[in-house]
Amino acid sequence: MNGPWRSAAIACCLVAGCGLDGCDSRQHGEELFELHCADCHEMSNPDLKKQPPKLEGLFQAKGLPSGAPATDEQVRKTIIEGLGTMPAFQGRLSQGDVDDLIRYLHTLK
Amino acid sequence: MTRWTIAGVMALVSILAGCQSQPKQYSLRGQVMAKDEAASELTVKHDDIPGFMAAMTMPYKVKDPQAMKDVQPGDAITAEVISANSGREYWLQSVRITSQEGRKNAKPAIRHALSIGDQTPEIPLTNQDGKQIRFSDFKGKSVLITFIYTRCPMPAFCPRLSSQFARIHEDLAKAARDYDKTHLLTISFDAKYDTPPVLRRYGLAYLDNHAEGFSHWDFACADPADMQRIADAFGLEYFEEDKQISHTMNIVLLTPEGRVARYWSNDWSTAELEGALRQQAESPVYHGRPKG
Repeated sequence: MNGPWRSAAIACCLVAGCGLDGCDSRQHGEELFELHCADCHEMSNPDLKKQPPKLEGLFQAKGLPSGAPATDEQVRKTIIEGLGTMPAFQGRLSQGDVDDLIRYLHTLK
Repeated sequence: MTRWTIAGVMALVSILAGCQSQPKQYSLRGQVMAKDEAASELTVKHDDIPGFMAAMTMPYKVKDPQAMKDVQPGDAITAEVISANSGREYWLQSVRITSQEGRKNAKPAIRHALSIGDQTPEIPLTNQDGKQIRFSDFKGKSVLITFIYTRCPMPAFCPRLSSQFARIHEDLAKAARDYDKTHLLTISFDAKYDTPPVLRRYGLAYLDNHAEGFSHWDFACADPADMQRIADAFGLEYFEEDKQISHTMNIVLLTPEGRVARYWSNDWSTAELEGALRQQAESPVYHGRPKG
């Protein structure tokens, strides 16, 4: 992509509130969220012993549902290691995947 | 009204309908790995199903008897996945065979190596405390066994099984007599990750942090060769692909003598499992023809 098309694409992304890489990354994060998180966190699953919390506003709250501080590092730890009945994603999501997922979680208001 | 306006209204209606938990429909493309006619179930290795499921191998109900008759293991198929009741029920419809080339290389249908009434073999397991256990340790108690891996992210699979076992455990704990005559056993087929400390942490989450519950519910793993023997014994199938483990869902009930009393691999409810476990503790009942 070059010349006016690239400029137009950058302009579109800036209007959408992110840079070229940011758009891809957030979209990737959203796809990962839909594949790995939404089934538990967005749907009601009466079969489950504990209902996972909704993740809207995760980073706007004073703390995570577990009481831990709502920081990227804490969320990263939870995703990789799991917490309570939430499964660990270690070995299944790359570091880049987790970065993109966290970036997307920041957009959930 | 123009064609595009009609299309727009239809799209809006569809979106609104989706908001009201109407059944959702997704396109599936994959290969049939196994067929269970009695359960009207196909195990399909499928591509990503955007919005529903990552690429994996899993069993699906098929309501169309003709489709169940026509489709054979090895067939490449397309189908619509219907997801209802917030994803708790799902099945295939409009199943179409796109290629029969794979039939000649298809694996035979899943069969349980142990028949109803067979004695369980003595295979060593390691529980959440790092202690070696065997099926014979539970002699005198009816035992409900299931198979999971703790990193399973699918709420309808391992988390559901563990949640159902947790409810059974809680109910049995209310009646000392039943509690003492029964046992629960969850076996992980992911020994690489599910070490005893991981299993202990996982178990505690389902036991509400009451470690004394481990005396009634063990979480165990086995070394790979022994795990394969266990899988063969109880008809469990599992394999790693795309950074996760595809597996069948299996529950086994043992008599107080350690014989296989019953298998579940598709429909069951928590109440049904609990009732069968309690009943088995009182008197052996074989669901199938026991061997002499």
